[in-house]
Amino acid sequence: MSWAAALALLDVPLSSVFTGWIDYIGANWDQFLTLLRGHLVMVGIGELLAILIAVPAGILATRDPRLARIIENLGAVAQTIPALGVIALTFTFLGLGKRPTILAITIYALFPILKNTVAGIQNVEEADVRAGRGMGMTNVQRLRRIELPLALPVIFAGIRTSTVLCVGVAYIGVFVGAGGLGTWIQAGLTTVNYDVMLAGAIPGALTVIAFDRGFSVLEGMVTPEGVSRDTTEGGAAA
Amino acid sequence: MIELDNVRKVYGDGTVAVDDVSLEVPEGETVTLVGPSGCGKTTTMTMVNRLTEITEGDVRIDGESIQDTDVIDLRRNIGYVIQEIGLFEHMTIAENISIVPDLRGWDEERKQERVEELLELIQLPQDVKTQYPANLSGGQRQRVGVARAMAAEPDIILMDEPFGALDPITRDELQDEFLDIQQKLDTTIMFVTHDIDEALKMGDRVAVLRDGELVQYDAPKDLLGSPKNEFVANFIGEDRVLKQLSAVTVREVMNAPQVGEGAGENPLSPDDSLKVALQRIFQQGDPLPVVEDGEVVGQVSEADIQAVTDRRTSEVLQ
Repeated sequence: MSWAAALALLDVPLSSVFTGWIDYIGANWDQFLTLLRGHLVMVGIGELLAILIAVPAGILATRDPRLARIIENLGAVAQTIPALGVIALTFTFLGLGKRPTILAITIYALFPILKNTVAGIQNVEEADVRAGRGMGMTNVQRLRRIELPLALPVIFAGIRTSTVLCVGVAYIGVFVGAGGLGTWIQAGLTTVNYDVMLAGAIPGALTVIAFDRGFSVLEGMVTPEGVSRDTTEGGAAA
Repeated sequence: MIELDNVRKVYGDGTVAVDDVSLEVPEGETVTLVGPSGCGKTTTMTMVNRLTEITEGDVRIDGESIQDTDVIDLRRNIGYVIQEIGLFEHMTIAENISIVPDLRGWDEERKQERVEELLELIQLPQDVKTQYPANLSGGQRQRVGVARAMAAEPDIILMDEPFGALDPITRDELQDEFLDIQQKLDTTIMFVTHDIDEALKMGDRVAVLRDGELVQYDAPKDLLGSPKNEFVANFIGEDRVLKQLSAVTVREVMNAPQVGEGAGENPLSPDDSLKVALQRIFQQGDPLPVVEDGEVVGQVSEADIQAVTDRRTSEVLQ
């Protein structure tokens, strides 16, 4: 079995993979809950801030092509800044702990949401927009009644992508004392204890899967009836 | 009544899309705008609901300049049908139809009544109300598109190649249905098409455009009978005489009946076209009696029909 061979090369004992990390979580249940909660709080707040910034910014971008270029470039640049760099640059004035981590998460989460908001609205048929204008809808009515409902599934796909990314970003919070599941990874690394390392890593991976599935269901719920559910175009933002 | 008064549209890059067009659409009439692509027909029409802003000239509706009306109010008072149909796929058929009534603040009950009334008019079953556009065929969707434009009982409807995306059979069906509907209403209609046959069939008057200019504006039979120049004659096509026969009715050419003549087995009606008359004459003999309400009101012969086409043809190509 090749994966077993790979693990052997990495010098990871099989016992860690199968039972060790579960035992470790069981033995440190209260701490686990604290770390997991801390992790999710950071992701939740960071993501929420990102949505609050990126969705309006995306809508704004679709109103004016020049603005669109500026906003999309800013979003793209934001994603190229290493998350660790954001933390290193900002903890001096945001202080240690969760705040610089949340900022890093927000910056990272912006781009997929922004990109999908723009794509979702731009994908609305030109004819629909013209029909709306011709029938006497104001700009706001057109946005609220036509463009946003039709774009919502695509916007949601962006939120899903960015949330999944941010569960990973939150791990680095440990370097500025933000807590979260990264705490155990770091502890495991310094003591070369695979049980501890995996006890930090695997719950994160499972969280990602759970979020991905959960959002997929939500996406289905926000897809208006009558619209075939196809978010593949804008869904692959990141 | 819609009046276009020396309207011009020049785009930012200097392209002249519409050049000094003046025409009047009388109350309750249908005017078709026809011409090759790029002739400015759609641009001319969308000046009326200000989807295209005029560079020079003026458009008046019932004497009032559209520049003096709030653009949103203006559009809510003008029905609009587009070729791509543009039904909103996330809304039910009922919701789609009642968009403008909704924008104008009608109450729920009144909207529902109107939807039911319109579905009957466009001959769709009431149970499509709760369905979505994706469940309907192309022809049904375009019927809904027409119903949506009529929903708030506008005095004016603008139609941009409304049947252009349909297959020929469905297209013909919808044209006939729409002609029926139109007779029951007295809506003023501007209808854009690139198809001369459709323009002749649907329009009380036809405006032929070319390179942004109005070439000829006439009733179908005058357009057929006396095309103003070679461009119009060519645009109408080589079967101009046949089209002309379709556009003229028996009533216009029939003579007084000969005394004592019977109705015969298969008499003509005064509203039949000369094309129908000619075919019957070939089948049944010459001349044929014309019967209205069970009474013989006239007769028509091959020579009468010949005279129409001769006269008109000679008028044109002097």
